[in-house]
Amino acid sequence: MELNISIKKTLPHFDLDVSFSCRKNRLLALVGPSGAGKTTLIRILAGLDRPDEGRITYNNEVWVDTDKKIFLPPQERHLGYVFQEYTLFPHLTVAGNVAISADDKEDVSSLLHRFGIWHLKDRKPDKISGGERQRCAICQAIARRPHLLLLDEPFSALDAITRQNLRDEVRKLKRELAIPVIHVTHDISEALYLGDDVLPMVNGRIVRKWMVQFMLKGRPPAQKRFTQDMFGDDSRYGSDLSVLYDSLEVMQ
Amino acid sequence: MDMIPLWLSLKLAFVTTVVLVIVAAPLTYLLVYIRFAGKSFFEALLTLPMVLPPTVLGFYLLLVMTPQGNIGRFWEAVTGSPLIFTFTGIVVASLVYSLPFAIQPMKAAFEKIDRRLLESAYVLGLSPMATFFRVIIPNTLNGLAASAILVFIHTLGEFGVILMVGGSIPGETKVASIAIYEAVEALRYRDAAMMCLVLVPISYIFLLLINRLTRRQIYGA
Amino acid sequence: MRRYISTIIIISFIILGSSLSAIAGEKLLVAVAANFILPSGELTEMFRDRTGIATEATYASTGKLYGQIVKGAPYDVFFAADEKRPNLLEKQGLCDKPFVYARGQVVVWTANQALCGATDWQVVVKNPAVKKIAIANTESAPYGTAAMIALQRAGLWDTLAKKYVFPQSVAQAFQYAETKSAEVGFCAYSSALSDKGKAGCFYLVPESPPIVQAACILKRTKNRSAAEQFVAFIGSPEAQKIKEKYGYR
Repeated sequence: MELNISIKKTLPHFDLDVSFSCRKNRLLALVGPSGAGKTTLIRILAGLDRPDEGRITYNNEVWVDTDKKIFLPPQERHLGYVFQEYTLFPHLTVAGNVAISADDKEDVSSLLHRFGIWHLKDRKPDKISGGERQRCAICQAIARRPHLLLLDEPFSALDAITRQNLRDEVRKLKRELAIPVIHVTHDISEALYLGDDVLPMVNGRIVRKWMVQFMLKGRPPAQKRFTQDMFGDDSRYGSDLSVLYDSLEVMQ
Repeated sequence: MDMIPLWLSLKLAFVTTVVLVIVAAPLTYLLVYIRFAGKSFFEALLTLPMVLPPTVLGFYLLLVMTPQGNIGRFWEAVTGSPLIFTFTGIVVASLVYSLPFAIQPMKAAFEKIDRRLLESAYVLGLSPMATFFRVIIPNTLNGLAASAILVFIHTLGEFGVILMVGGSIPGETKVASIAIYEAVEALRYRDAAMMCLVLVPISYIFLLLINRLTRRQIYGA
Repeated sequence: MRRYISTIIIISFIILGSSLSAIAGEKLLVAVAANFILPSGELTEMFRDRTGIATEATYASTGKLYGQIVKGAPYDVFFAADEKRPNLLEKQGLCDKPFVYARGQVVVWTANQALCGATDWQVVVKNPAVKKIAIANTESAPYGTAAMIALQRAGLWDTLAKKYVFPQSVAQAFQYAETKSAEVGFCAYSSALSDKGKAGCFYLVPESPPIVQAACILKRTKNRSAAEQFVAFIGSPEAQKIKEKYGYR
């Protein structure tokens, strides 16, 4: 299962122009400063916005093709989407929220147990903490057995400890779900921690150089091994990677 | 005291409220979520009954509801009986008269819903119609209730429009407001006072209800 | 901001000023029963040509006007459609001795040509094709009361109950009949003789009592001399001719 995207869109301050793909069992971390166009990109992937031109395909399904005027609405893309806030329906309980898109009702209880919120199943979203809400949101997104999981800065509004716990959950989840996962964050360490592929985005474009610069200037990853895991088996990065390794050698 | 006009008023208010809430909800959805050409004109048209003097509105309704008028003619062709001077006729008049009062609270409630909630529903696989019934409506119940109550008391007090198209037929179109008016004209002040005595508390109770509901909205569900 | 305020104040004064002059001036305010609307228009115009005194008339059912006067409405003269209410006013000390100014008749009028040419009004109202009959409010409009008495005398009042529609005044009854909202209406003879009325046809209703219309000058009038001139004019031969033109005797 592979997602392929190549789109362009004119935005108020810059143009969004990206191409990449994401395979199943891999988490792609989209990282970059606020306002870089990451959320717009995710919304386009989800079908909540339209690109000016381009194509998005998932396996053999064409989701968007501006030349052929094809546009598949969000309902039919079978996605899971976790927003930063407000994903949950205030009028439904925790269990109700997860169940709303679940095909198989048994999934609901197993998910609630797995994410440790079973004891909250009859509470309404406004009566639980932010971390618990995001756990519920993740359950809700997964309950549908989606073909693609999108996470848009899901932990940004949470405290550091909850953030770390949920990051670990996602890391575990990534191995279990046989789907591509795209995770948007402005936090480099989160991107490096979770991502099998890391795509830095600045002003609507993918800028690998920016990432390299940051890593050289700021906090390079603790282990060289980690770095190799990250970029090692993706030959697309080619010459940039050798530059990276060389620089890191120099650093250490 | 003749209870029939009071009963008629309550019946009219009830029927109008039920029909109007059902009719106004999709109209409000259209106004809030759908973009289309001429939307502002359409919206102003829907608000018109609120600003027109009731007798003006009643006059125009009379013109279209008589057997010569467009709507009256259509009605007779379809149902075989006239529209004017019937209970159904004053229901139709009340629907027009109270339409903006149904839409305004609903519109405020619909607009308050975070768009992300709707987007979340779409991504989870809910069609726009399913989203309307399973997300929008459950989260705007206060607004819908405020709408219903407003329409109810507005219809209870309706006079000018019903005067024009009702014909004051006892048991059919002679509602309480008309009966009170005629009692005053005929100098039967006691009868008028008795009917008012019943209507005022009813209206007051409903106003209290509205206050409760809107307060809850402000302080959060 | 200051300019706005002063503009508003000036406009308010203008509005107030003009309404004040309307109250205090030589203009006559008359309350006229709805059925007399057409002759009244001509009479007040003729009066103004003669004397220069402008008259402003309010038309409504006799009962409504009576109620207003009892509550203190500032009319100068009251032209009712019956004798009962002017007499009541006199008893309460609110007006001078009433006098009869016209005698009217109630007729059955229809805009529907197919209903014309029948033997008499009873045949018409009994006709199944007649679904709605407009009768002015029988409590506060004398023409409505007269219609009701006629129907009672003909033994039809109860049998035709389902057909009645009750507009607030006899003028509104004519309007209902004229727009064909009601197939027939019990209207004032003067409506039948008007231009609009000529487009339909009417039947006299001998069973109804004649409508003796009385008037009186209200004691609280501030324009007594103008009021007395107007009353004198109404009794004059020229005024009589106008009244007859509209079916009054």
